[in-house]
Amino acid sequence: MRRIRAGLARLGLALVLLLLTNCAKQGISPQGQDVHQLYVIILILAAPVFIGVEAALIWCIVRYRKRSDDPAPQTVGGSRSLGVFFVIPAVIVALLFPFGETTLLRIARTEPPQVQIRVEGFQWQWTFLYLQEGIFVSGKTLVKPAEMVVPVDEPVRITLTSRDVIHSFFVPDLLFKRDAIPGRTSTFEFTPTELGTFPAQCAEFCGLWHSKMTFDVKVVSSLDYQAWIKQERKAAASITCKPDGTTLSLVAHNISWNQFCLAVPANTPFIVNINNQDAGIEHNFAIYDSFFQKTTYFTGPKVTGPATISLNPDPLPPGRYYFQCDVHGPAMSGAFVVKG
Amino acid sequence: MAVTEAPTTELAPEPERGRLLDWLKTTDHKKIGILYLINSFAFFAVGGVLALLMRTELARPGTQIFAPHAYNQLFTLHGTLMIFLVIFPLLAGFGNYFVPLQIGALDMAFPRINALSFWLLPVGGLTIVSGFLARGGAAAAGWTGYPPLSEQLGTGQDLWIAGLIIVGTASILGGINFIVTILRMRAPGMTMMRMPVFTWSILATSLLVILAAPVLTAGLIMVFADRQIGTVFFDPGRGGVVLLWQHVFWFFGHPEVYMLILGAWGIVTEIVSVFSGKPIFSYRGVILSFLLITALSFSVWAHHMFATGAVELPFFSVTTELISIPTGVLFFIWLGTMWKGKLRFEPPMLFALGFIAMFLIGGINGVWAASPAMDFAIHDTYWVVAHLHYVLFGGTIFGVMAGMYYWFPKMTGRMLSRKLGIWQFWLQLVGFNLTFFPMHMLGLRGMPRRIADYAPDRGWSFLNLMSSIGAFVIAIAMIVFFVNIFLTLRKPRSAPDDPWESNTLEWATSSPPPAHNFDALPPIRSDRPAYDLRMAAKEPQA
Repeated sequence: MRRIRAGLARLGLALVLLLLTNCAKQGISPQGQDVHQLYVIILILAAPVFIGVEAALIWCIVRYRKRSDDPAPQTVGGSRSLGVFFVIPAVIVALLFPFGETTLLRIARTEPPQVQIRVEGFQWQWTFLYLQEGIFVSGKTLVKPAEMVVPVDEPVRITLTSRDVIHSFFVPDLLFKRDAIPGRTSTFEFTPTELGTFPAQCAEFCGLWHSKMTFDVKVVSSLDYQAWIKQERKAAASITCKPDGTTLSLVAHNISWNQFCLAVPANTPFIVNINNQDAGIEHNFAIYDSFFQKTTYFTGPKVTGPATISLNPDPLPPGRYYFQCDVHGPAMSGAFVVKG
Repeated sequence: MAVTEAPTTELAPEPERGRLLDWLKTTDHKKIGILYLINSFAFFAVGGVLALLMRTELARPGTQIFAPHAYNQLFTLHGTLMIFLVIFPLLAGFGNYFVPLQIGALDMAFPRINALSFWLLPVGGLTIVSGFLARGGAAAAGWTGYPPLSEQLGTGQDLWIAGLIIVGTASILGGINFIVTILRMRAPGMTMMRMPVFTWSILATSLLVILAAPVLTAGLIMVFADRQIGTVFFDPGRGGVVLLWQHVFWFFGHPEVYMLILGAWGIVTEIVSVFSGKPIFSYRGVILSFLLITALSFSVWAHHMFATGAVELPFFSVTTELISIPTGVLFFIWLGTMWKGKLRFEPPMLFALGFIAMFLIGGINGVWAASPAMDFAIHDTYWVVAHLHYVLFGGTIFGVMAGMYYWFPKMTGRMLSRKLGIWQFWLQLVGFNLTFFPMHMLGLRGMPRRIADYAPDRGWSFLNLMSSIGAFVIAIAMIVFFVNIFLTLRKPRSAPDDPWESNTLEWATSSPPPAHNFDALPPIRSDRPAYDLRMAAKEPQA
């Protein structure tokens, strides 16, 4: 019997170790590591409960199998044993709850953020707006998942929202997710401490291409981060084009415009023909100063595809503007050049 | 010209009153109970096939047979049917058949309303399933139907709402009927504290139904109004609040979880006592736990919303963890009942033991999710899929199977095959764990639920394949179950009135019982009248 018990104990220990080492992500941020630690603590509290109850069950099955026709003793428990039954799980809960709360407080701790990113979920990709740096990156559904680049060892503050339905920003290696809810913004912080590219995706079911709403979190060195910012700025500024008449045609297909740059002559009336080929999906056409949207120059009505619409924005003075579909935001945007 | 007319005096022959017609217009709670079970197992087969299709799709990365458009309908209908048209009506079916028998009543308090609440079920269920014929397909927003997504989708979503309102109405009518029956129709001597634990579990379930189900109906009407009338309850662009639905839905949805398991606890508690040859270790403890859980279940709903970042975390965390205390007490009582007993491993007991072993896992893996910081990591991943299936399949379906093997002789006068029952049990136990245990690991490795596809480089492929193989093992177990029923129904009625040496009143009448339930009621002097009857019969010989 003793040997069996020792064997069972060893088996239990092996199982626990397997669960510890093999399963849960270790976390690439102090916050994630705190959550991983909580996973282990709950495991340590839960394992004896699991092993104890299953062992008692197996014991009953083996020991109390009916072997004779003698009736079983017709005994029942009294109030005292019932009291003990209530106290045991109450003690476990009393032990468990403070651990959970401590971890919660620890992961909610904030430091002055070095990087602030506004994250917008939309059906079915993500846009990451680096507001201080004046750049953004956006994924294209079924074409190219977005990549969120962050520097290592710097606190990152995410401001999260959604443009349409509920999404959820889920990075398994951070052991964290937060719902992106239309009409709400949600803020949280993390400090990545490990270099690498970590897969992530939407965790709240959001419709047709939910499974393709993936993105990567790329943690790079501080130098690489600065270089990346510079390169993105340059790339954004290099997009340019020349006016060719006063009639613009723009096609929306698969939640993308067919052009990334539009140009018209200055102070001249012009026409924008929009062809929305996305069945059942709304788009519109709007002109702003930049993706910060400080000044609005034109907002067209939303049309559900398939449909075409002809728009007459007011003439604009020369300069570099920005156009987008307000439904999908920077993910469907481009440069609007007005040449003098 | 001679015209031959049919003689008007001759009466048309009396139409043969087919047995089918009897079933269609019956108000007998026993027949209605059986109709509930037939209807539920029919939808169980549909929901099960949907699950097999999902597991086939997920067996390997890449699209095998279903594009996301179809896959999204599969899991939406699987969840909706299993919860609203299978698990709950299975327990309600047992309740219909056995509550009046267990309390010594002639029938339910309102037999015609009872028939109505049954017939609304297939109507509601078919309304939901008919979405497959609608343009754009069936509902595809998940069984939780979160707006704004559920406001974007097509006609299938309206049919889903209409069907759920019909099913909800059915359960509210049924709940009222059970409460009145249990409170007002008990036989002389059947005091509240002598009622079988299963009847207590149905009473607690019915309280949950009448308090929670109307809340869901209200929410569904709001979504419907948003979709069809142009109200803006859930439209943030026009003053609505997206999260309102989640509060309404889960205020119903968490009590709903207990509606789906309380009945199974009742069945398992009774069976463990019968097959251990001992009284329940603490009858009062079981009732106290049921009532505490019923009350607490209304205070935990927002633990489904930790990841929204918009709920008070410590409050809902502590209420959730508190509810594990009375649940833990039930485990101690089951073990205490078996302690020093004389255990007989008939199929009902096997499934009851399987229930205890599996529901324990479903209780424990829920503890991780109850801690908000940990829930941020595992919410909406396959961990949760594992958790809910360990509760609803490892728990309730094992409990329902225990009930089927236990009560089948009472309902039909025929004993289900023991041999096939044992085969089914082991296949079901192995298949179930093969399907759902790997999902814990998938969740920890970050696989979100409700995705139609996944990339091959995420380390999810092997675990998904195991899970898909397990699903087909479960399917084989279910085929064994249906074959067992089919074969048994062709055998002669040979079951004794009390084949298991049971405790409760339904075993003190014939198998199956007469239309009026009891030719003569035995005296009821304890919570085990059938046991008392057996002991009294033994005495004169001594």
